[in-house]
Amino acid sequence: MKPIATLILNRNLPKVTDKLYRTIKKNEGNITDIFVIEAGSSKNNLSKYATWHANSESVKKKGLRFPRGMNYGLYNLWKENLFDKYKAFFLITNDTVIQNKNTLKTLYSILLKNKKIGILSPCSKKWGENKLLKKNSIKFTWYIHNHAYLLNKDLLLKIINPTSGYMNFLYDGSNFRGYGLESELIAKAYANNFAAAITNKVYLEENEDYLLNHNDLIKTESYSRNLKLSYVEGLKWMKRKYGFNNKWLLQNYVKLFYDNFFVNYPEYKKYKI
Amino acid sequence: MIPKIFNKYLKNRRTTLLAVGPMSKNCVEATIEIANEKKVPIMMIASRRQIDSKEMGGGYVNNWDTKSFSNYVKKRDKNKLITLCRDHGGPWQNSLEIEKKLNSIKAINSAKRSYMEDIDSDFKIIHIDTCLSLNGTEKSKKKTLDRLFELYKFCSDYAKKKNKNIFFEIGTEEQSGTTNTQKELEETLHKIVNFCKKNKLKKPTFVVIQSGTKVMEMRNVGTFEVPFRVENEIPAEIQIPKMIEICKKYNVLMKAHNTDYLSNEALSCYPRLGINAANIAPEFGVIESRKILEIMEALKLKSLKDSFVKLSLDSNKWKKWMIKGSKANDYEKAIISGHYIFSEKKFSNIKEDLTKILKKNNQSLDKILKKEIKKSILRYLYNFNLIK
Repeated sequence: MKPIATLILNRNLPKVTDKLYRTIKKNEGNITDIFVIEAGSSKNNLSKYATWHANSESVKKKGLRFPRGMNYGLYNLWKENLFDKYKAFFLITNDTVIQNKNTLKTLYSILLKNKKIGILSPCSKKWGENKLLKKNSIKFTWYIHNHAYLLNKDLLLKIINPTSGYMNFLYDGSNFRGYGLESELIAKAYANNFAAAITNKVYLEENEDYLLNHNDLIKTESYSRNLKLSYVEGLKWMKRKYGFNNKWLLQNYVKLFYDNFFVNYPEYKKYKI
Repeated sequence: MIPKIFNKYLKNRRTTLLAVGPMSKNCVEATIEIANEKKVPIMMIASRRQIDSKEMGGGYVNNWDTKSFSNYVKKRDKNKLITLCRDHGGPWQNSLEIEKKLNSIKAINSAKRSYMEDIDSDFKIIHIDTCLSLNGTEKSKKKTLDRLFELYKFCSDYAKKKNKNIFFEIGTEEQSGTTNTQKELEETLHKIVNFCKKNKLKKPTFVVIQSGTKVMEMRNVGTFEVPFRVENEIPAEIQIPKMIEICKKYNVLMKAHNTDYLSNEALSCYPRLGINAANIAPEFGVIESRKILEIMEALKLKSLKDSFVKLSLDSNKWKKWMIKGSKANDYEKAIISGHYIFSEKKFSNIKEDLTKILKKNNQSLDKILKKEIKKSILRYLYNFNLIK
């Protein structure tokens, strides 16, 4: 039985997605099944390994983006009674670059050793957080901004919403581009006595070249426009949902849960960032 | 170890103290007036380039030197709400020390004389910033700290001799190897606190840390309001709470520099985050210059406006504020550097002409300009939870 379900999100970049699929399959196919979510890709741009194809007119036009895309994949696993088969879910975008052959094995071993970790994020070599981590270590944090997460099923079972379709299965799908949703997920983790951790035991990189220079192929906005829209939408979302007027209030909110976690579980203080 | 005047604001409620750069005579007056109208304490933070001792050539603000500036403020500050502070004191912080290529001994002695004048002139908070060398940033952390200790002890001893009660600010927002990373901050605070203990000196009141703010042109380009990652930088979301945690551990207050131009939403988070004080300076100069040009435009005073723009541009003082590859036009550049030329004779003539024109309509130029600056100061007082 393979413990991990890997979900790759693709939109109109079949070659890139296929390459990533084959890399994972070759290196770690023994511990993970791989599922490819097509976020409104056109028919001639589907990955060879496509599992599900979201192809409503609106998705074809705008895509799904990370939150709705992952909701879509996880919801389909749920619907197909596959969700319970796995212990963890590895969510990645197709522009993820995996160099270490034992990436998933390493990440999963961390989850197994630290049952309190609900969200695990590998660092990128470009992240400033590396300055906070000793070599081969993990730290619990209140802020992660990434495109790749290993999620513990035990956490997900506490926070998913399977009854109302894919839209809000894990992430709040009303926040399309997702700015702020990572923080909300981290708050939910700590609120449910799980931690969110970063590690440099393995690194993952994002090849931003695709978003920066090939947005026409992907059929999405330019990189800078996407960033702007994401921030503006995210701020509107946090105001609508929480009455927070800026990102710092959301951070404060998450940090309250984070600090509280160590009051309840002082034995984990060594992992404080 | 904080000046009594701030007790009410720092001990019983969450506020961020406001520190205003004396960018011009109008800015100084506006700050004094608003502090006294609202009965709220404000720090006035003079850099050595703005105001220094007579020996050092004064500074670019209103031809004041330390003493005359202090006298001017004290005379008008009826309720004693302004705390005079030295901002970025220390060796090579005055352009003359660089122009004269002073070696380290001479530059430190020069800085000492400047501090003596500060203390004699009732400056209450003394910022010791030893991050510079003759050739830019001092690369040796040891030298930076040794100089800090030397000046700290010198100022403490001098103040004691003169029976003055002073407080200290240390650190810098610049890359100095002392307070930029968590490790550096921890080390620096550890060393300074031990140094103070050993020498029976007061602990520093404030420490400046890099808190995700940086002013370029007429905006804040730091990471505080940037929503996404900056390569190899710890996200502000993690960095700021961690740095404040370290400050709390050593019981030293955290002071943010370069807070200009942040949004109301961002500013209102300062008290909540535990940022105890914040410096705002160039924004007030920019506001005054912009208003002057707007008035000239509204009154169709093209020749006066062109003269001001040319004078400001020729000063070249805008250069250090520009973003690489900037598309700013001459008008914007003139706004950026306007306040540097307010004390020049040629500008006085321009201002005099404009004042006369406005007077015909029973308007006072300085009143209009001060009103504009006050409006901006109020924005900070309100967001920092200093007034309701």
